[in-house]
Amino acid sequence: MTKGLDRLRDLRAQGLLEKAYDEVPRLLAGETGEPEVGGLELRTAGRLLAGVDPAAVLAHRPATPVITVAVTGSCTVGPVRDPLTAELARHGMLARTVTGDHGAWLRDLTDPAGALRAADPEFTLCLLDAGAVFAEVPVPWRPEDVEEAAGRLVDRLAAIAADWPGTLVLNTLPLERRYTHQLVDHASRARLGALWRDANARLLRLVESSPRVVVIDLDPLLGGAVPVADPRLAQYAAVNLGAELLAGYAREVAHLVRSLRGRTRKCLVLDLDNTLWDGILAEDGPEGVAASGSLRGEAFHTFQRVVKQLAAQGVLLAVNSKNDAAAVREVLTGHPDLLLREDDFAAVRANWAPKDANLREIADELGLAPDACVFADDTPAERAQVRHGAPDVALVALGADPALHTTALLADGWFDTPALTDEDRARAGRYRGERRRRELRAGTGSYEEFLTGLDTRVDLGPPRAHEFPRLAQLTQRTNQFNLTGLRLREDELRAYAADPAHRLLLAARTADRFGDHGLTGALLGRYHESAGVLELENMWLSCRVLARAIEQACLAALLAAARDDGLNAVEARWLPTPRNHRARGFYPSCGFEDVTPPNRDPAAGERRYRHDLTRLPAMPDHVRVDPPVLERTGHRDG
Amino acid sequence: MDSLHGLMELVRDDLGVPLDIPGDADADLADLPGWDSLNLLRLVILLEENGHPVPVHRLLLARSLHEMYTLVKERR
Repeated sequence: MTKGLDRLRDLRAQGLLEKAYDEVPRLLAGETGEPEVGGLELRTAGRLLAGVDPAAVLAHRPATPVITVAVTGSCTVGPVRDPLTAELARHGMLARTVTGDHGAWLRDLTDPAGALRAADPEFTLCLLDAGAVFAEVPVPWRPEDVEEAAGRLVDRLAAIAADWPGTLVLNTLPLERRYTHQLVDHASRARLGALWRDANARLLRLVESSPRVVVIDLDPLLGGAVPVADPRLAQYAAVNLGAELLAGYAREVAHLVRSLRGRTRKCLVLDLDNTLWDGILAEDGPEGVAASGSLRGEAFHTFQRVVKQLAAQGVLLAVNSKNDAAAVREVLTGHPDLLLREDDFAAVRANWAPKDANLREIADELGLAPDACVFADDTPAERAQVRHGAPDVALVALGADPALHTTALLADGWFDTPALTDEDRARAGRYRGERRRRELRAGTGSYEEFLTGLDTRVDLGPPRAHEFPRLAQLTQRTNQFNLTGLRLREDELRAYAADPAHRLLLAARTADRFGDHGLTGALLGRYHESAGVLELENMWLSCRVLARAIEQACLAALLAAARDDGLNAVEARWLPTPRNHRARGFYPSCGFEDVTPPNRDPAAGERRYRHDLTRLPAMPDHVRVDPPVLERTGHRDG
Repeated sequence: MDSLHGLMELVRDDLGVPLDIPGDADADLADLPGWDSLNLLRLVILLEENGHPVPVHRLLLARSLHEMYTLVKERR
């Protein structure tokens, strides 16, 4: 039995699981990133963790994210609870699960007074299996009957999806042999296969019309030769989705939750020797390493293609390798085999320093927290050192056979994101500009001179039609300068933007002489017309452009606009989150008065601020921004 | 898991059901503190993954851990 699981049992036996909940991710992850607790044991861990009292964990660790998940479905759904609890625990999150009645998914999802809706779940999982369709066909059945029943099912789900309040997670329906081979002729079987896939395709396309719906495709999970279910448990207990399949499903859901909670990992840090190429540069020399041309070399080439594919979608790449910098530079620029080149990496650390120190430096250089990084290395000792010295970095345990590198890298959806935006595609280029900015910083005297040399421009105005996906992503990914921790979905942002008379929603696009940063900031507000007050509900600024006085410039421009528009005051608040403490003094630094009522619950730590618009803060002189036009209507009546 | 004691340990340690071993061997499952019906499913899976084939439908109807152990032993 593994150390991690034993320790969990000990903690549980001593009644310390709640107090030590912050230890759990490390216990489950193991010392070298190889699944210390995997498969069956992870389920056992989930079983033990499912007994944890969320209130007691929060008493010890108030910042622990608690995720309310409702589970319903067309089969017995209880068995998903253990793996889901364990998978969320791997990410330091705590599951609060509400399970619907057996087989009553339709009622669970449509009854406004039902237990599921009453729990106000952030995530609702509706587990679907072929039984949901085949329960509705007569005996004997023809493919046409199945088509009709599947069509009805998807219609119902589409109607529910259209107005479900939280995130609704559906899945494709696996078609098992025990159904297809009830048909004896190949033509009918083919027809069944085609119409079944049509129904699944319609399900998958629900995400196009319903922004809060996520559909998990079970086919890739089943492709790993995982059985859909055990026929005996399916027959006797309606367990139509088996334990192994649910384990894979739970992993996908946990990554989805993480990404919607703004915790998508942003940077893939790679070792070089036997990770990106075959051989050891310091021993074999530049001519001795290979990433094509041989059976093994081609496997590294395949892996590089996968890494490049991730990079093209906004995953930053970095190198962390025990090698001489000059030799690495020579290979990265000149070696004929390489698909990934020096320019593909936002940061390169090739030296003989400990890899955990390098990782912390890389994170710092890119303006990221270590928990935004993933480190892939084929040497267990190196991974163990990173686990020890930079425990928040996720590890990918690559093995000795490069043909398995891709599977290992993609086993966890560390970089899963709700939606891809233009910003993601342009990210690598922006970080290249960032490298040149750092060079300017190193070459100029004071920070003021550096900022002046940057020539920063901000375009502050209502979001344009194509900007909503990026705007939602900004609110979801921004942690450090997110003044209340608020995160918004695309549909919520669109609703605010559609109501400019009562709500203020501004997007900030920034650029400087080294390039365009794109949409990097946002402000959300609400007008209280009777008092002539604009309540600033939140501000977000990407960490990439922090410390350039852009946040001060945006707020100064907004205050000027508010005064010009005849408002009496702007009010704002700061609510602490685990990551935004550095922004605590932001409003006072811009001339806001602290008006926090003295009897506020001190545990919440909320601060309230007010600016009476008599003396506006000066616009930072190295940032150019035009005051936005407020579109409220109240004061213009009559 | 070669004895009733072993089965009870499995239930206590891996299913997290606080048991009196061997005192709870003949207790009705529904009377065990912290027992829920999913434990029967978990136990079927656990036993089979540990190499003990079980008569699923009979195990699902078992009323006590002792009865379960008898069923598993019969299969061997």
